[in-house]
Parts: sequence; structure tokens; C-alpha cells
Amino acid sequence: MSGEDDSSGWQLTESDPSVFTELLKSLGVPLVVDDLYSLDSGALSTFQPIHALIFLFKWVGSSAEPSSGGQYDLEFPGFFAHQVVNNACATLAVMNAIGNIPDLPKGVQLSDLINFTVGMDPQTRGMVITSADWLREAHNALSPPSAISLEGLGLPKTTEEAYHFIVYLPYMGSVYELDGLKDSPVQHGPYEEKGEGWLAKAREVIEARIATYPPGSLEFSLLALHDDPLPTLQTSLSEAQASGNHAAVEEIMVRLANENSKRERWAFENSLRRHNYVGFIHALLSAMGKAGALDKAKEDAQAKMQERIAKRKEKGEAAMDED
Amino acid sequence: MSTEPRIAFKAGRAFRRENTNWVDPDPTKGAVILQNGEDGLLHFIWKNRTTNDSEEDLILFPSDATFAPVTQAASGRVYVLKFSSSNQRHFDADSTRDKDFVQNVNRLLLNPEELPVWFTGFPDALGTAAFEEPGTAQASSSSSSAQPAQPSQPAQPGQPGFQFTQEQLNQFQSMIESSGAGANVPPVVELSLTDVLTPANLTPLFTSHPELIQTLFPHLPPDLPSPPTPQTIQQVISSPQFRAAVRNFDQALRTGLLGGLVRGLGLPEEAGTGVEAFLRAIQDQAREGGGGDSMDTD
Repeated sequence: MSGEDDSSGWQLTESDPSVFTELLKSLGVPLVVDDLYSLDSGALSTFQPIHALIFLFKWVGSSAEPSSGGQYDLEFPGFFAHQVVNNACATLAVMNAIGNIPDLPKGVQLSDLINFTVGMDPQTRGMVITSADWLREAHNALSPPSAISLEGLGLPKTTEEAYHFIVYLPYMGSVYELDGLKDSPVQHGPYEEKGEGWLAKAREVIEARIATYPPGSLEFSLLALHDDPLPTLQTSLSEAQASGNHAAVEEIMVRLANENSKRERWAFENSLRRHNYVGFIHALLSAMGKAGALDKAKEDAQAKMQERIAKRKEKGEAAMDED
Repeated sequence: MSTEPRIAFKAGRAFRRENTNWVDPDPTKGAVILQNGEDGLLHFIWKNRTTNDSEEDLILFPSDATFAPVTQAASGRVYVLKFSSSNQRHFDADSTRDKDFVQNVNRLLLNPEELPVWFTGFPDALGTAAFEEPGTAQASSSSSSAQPAQPSQPAQPGQPGFQFTQEQLNQFQSMIESSGAGANVPPVVELSLTDVLTPANLTPLFTSHPELIQTLFPHLPPDLPSPPTPQTIQQVISSPQFRAAVRNFDQALRTGLLGGLVRGLGLPEEAGTGVEAFLRAIQDQAREGGGGDSMDTD
């Protein structure tokens, strides 16, 4: 994989739909990201219209990564940026998606940034995106605050690799694959407008890709980038209420309730992600101390650690350990 | 902090032949030096005495490494540096004939402490290459090679025939055992905060000490979508975000460098030197009736 090791101030984020949706919100884009559990028509129709699919994966194979088919399109006239900083991969994927959705409402900073990069080659565009301070701040706002920076202390790093992100979307009648680690976008052929439209073609391409990996070697998720359903649901609700269609009203209210409770769960998770827990940790330990529970907890923790060390020693001769 | 060598001796290296237990000695002249690095950690360095380059530099954590003789070695003077936490082993053909020396290197590894007196000026002596070669004996021709009887007198490491006397080793050993204030030495990892702050440990408090649970609310995230309840606290404690934060904080405490940060919690600077120290300080603070409603760090 190419890409600098230097994180350039970009923190590694989780690849959760709630994180992506929050990022989109901060960019002023009225789109939402959801997990897709399958590519069948039922699953896809839940989120119509889908503007892009994001395929994220960790590949643990040892041989060369299988090729994905399609043809490189060096003349791609749309928005495509190279991934120049590994930690920024999630945001870069989002940019490659929303940069190619026509008539998409955006915040001013985002519009300006995209316009500024018109005509640039992918590498330069990638560098420009990665140097946008406001974008980096929006991205970093999604992960824990670095109140305690462990960078530069020379501590052994746990090898938590970033997922690899690939965007699939329709552009000028064809399905395209945008991979920030490839030289140019890959064109997978035209699609028909009728029925499921571009999604039918995308399904083919993605399923074919998944099939080329040896079984068990691929860890992946599929995300759907689609319109925020809440405004439409609200409108439909008002209309159904106005026309006295009680069945419809009930059905819409159930869907609204589900959507709202999901959004509240996401808001809860994101607020937990942004929080600095040092004060909370101190308060918890103090409470345990005052309750007289700390000594026992310490002893138990010591015993657990001894167990772990003993187990590690047993298999330790075979494994390199990072403490 | 001082980065003077703590202990040093001539030694060649021996390399294990891959996939075998066979060790081949390497004729390169070298020296093993144990010294504190700029990072405050104990380094095991092997220096090539011909080129003066430090060719190996390993960090030793107490209890993680031992230095032991390889009994099968015909010369009886091959030692291996073993790490309990990894597969790495480093072999040294040692020129010293004193078995007690090995014990003392081990003691140093177990609890790196005071700088032994007799190593003042040692780095210069190394450069003069006035060492005994492995496997050869040199008759000491000058009386200055006699070992000083008083431990406070610097020995002459550069002299031919240099060896640690029993006297020096005893002195060294007692210095270690009389432990002084440790420098920034990583403590033996005895426990992890992640095993202390478990839902299992915390849940009982909700019923036994609900008034203490109240003290936790000010420290929750300020932007929760709905007002927090005791159940919220349970959810937070079980959340992956909180558990990651505890792991992070545990690792940060082990660096021993959180003195400044913990003062913001109303704790003494010493509390930031390790997990044990942190917990002790909180215990003390709890006994004195403080803590829990301390200053926020953000």
C-alpha cells in the first residue's frame, strides 16, 4: 500500500455509520450512511435512492491482492483524489463520493474546496484535501480527544491497520470504482436506468470482487450513502394526517420512531467518542475507594495479570509479544 | 538523568544457526554495556570495539530479561540474554570468569538502581582497547592492575587483566538492595486499570452506594442526547469508547510521565508515575475525604 506513515495530524477514526453521518452533517451535506447487511433488492430498496456504496475491508491474505476487473479511466472528468494520508482514508472516501453527486447541497467550505480542486490531478487533489485544516478538524472531532498524546513516546504500537475504502457510484451512465490507492478511477461498464438502475450493475461488480478473495480472508462492511429519510418522512406524515389516512399515518410513525431512535443511539455513541474520560476515571476510582472496594479490585486485577503473564510465557516462546 | 554506563564488560557475540540450537561464536571484539538511555530505560548495548559502533541496542524491562549461562558451551563462558516477553535471544561469549558477575547482571536487570561507583570515566577506557581478548589470558604486569580494596575508589577498567572482584560485586549488590529513589524506570507490570474498572466491579456500587454514583454525573460527556441517569452511567462503563479510554490511560500511566496531568486532578505528582502509584494516591485521597469532585481536566 502506498501512502505516508506520517499521520499529518489526522486521527484514525472508527468506520461506523454514525461516524460517517456525523461527518456529513458537519460538512453541511443532507445525506446519511447506513450499514447494508446484504445486496439483495429488499435491503437496497430500504434506503433508496442510494447515491454511492462504500465497500470497506481488511484483507488478511498473504499473496498479492486479486485484481478487481474493469478498466482504468485516466480521463475521468469527475472528482477523484488519491489517499495521501492513511488515517484520512474514511474522509477521503466520503469526499470521492460526494464530489461526484450532482446537485448535492453542501456547506460553503466544502463547495469552495471542491471547486478549488477542479482540473487538478488526483495526487495534487489528494494533497489539497488533506491540507484543509477545517476538514481535518471535522474529521478529528469524530474520535477521542488526544488529551494524552501517546505519539512520540516510543511506545510499542498495536498494529491496528486502517480499513481500505472503495467507493462505487454511477457517473455518466457507467458504474465507477473510486479507490484512493489506485492511480485512477476504474470503469466497470454501463448500466440500465430501469429497475434498480446502477445498483444492479454495482451488485454484480462487488459480488464478483468478494468472490475473488479466498474464503475467510476478507473482513468487510458495505455502507449505503443515501438521502436523509427524516424530512421525507415528516412530509409524508403531514400529508397522511391531512388526508386522514390512518393506516399510512401509523406506518409512517413507526418508521419515524425507528429512525429517530437509531439517530439518538448514534448521537449517544458520538458524544461518547468525543469525550475525555480522565476525570470520569478518577471519579470512578475515588468512588470505589470511598466504598472500600478498591483493595479487592486491585487484588483481583493483580491475579488476572499474573494469569495472563503465565499464559503468555507458555506460548511466549512461539510468539512475539508487544506489551 | 545520567546516561553513564552502569555496568560493562568485554564480550564477543555468538549467533544461533537458523532452525537449530547450534550457536557459532563470532570473532568480532566487542563489549556489553548496560546503561540508562535518554528515555530513562535500561539499555543493553553491544559495542563493536574495532569500529566503536553500537551494533545492538535492546531495551530491558525489569523481570522481562535474564542473563544466563549456556551450560552446553564447551568453554563454559557463553551466556544468553533471554526475554520472557518475546522470542528473541541474544548470545554473548563472555570474557569474565566470574559466575557471580552473571548474578549481578541479573539483579541489575531485576531492579536497575544506583550507579556503581567504579564506572566513572569508563567510556574513555573502552576506547583504549586495553581489554583482555576473549579466550586469552594476559598476565598483569603492573601493580596498578591490583583491585582496590575500598569500594569508593574507582577501579581501573582500562588496565589489562581487569576483572570484578568479589568485593566489588558485593558492594554493587548491596547498593542495589538498599534501593534508592528509582529513576524513570518502568515498573513491573503488576496490574492493568482495565481489570479494575470493570462493569463487574462497578455495578455493585449502584445498589450499595448510590450517593457515590451521584458524584460521577459531572464527569459524563456534556453533550448526551438526553439527560443522564444511573443507567446511562452503566452504559458508558460498558461502552467500547470508555474501555478504549481506560486502556489508553493505563498505557499512558505506565510511561510514568503523567505527573503534570494528575496534579490537575488534585493528586500529588507522584501519582502520575505508574498505575500502582495512581491507585495508592486515590486511596489516600479517598481516606482523607477528597476526590471525586475534583477539577475537570478539560
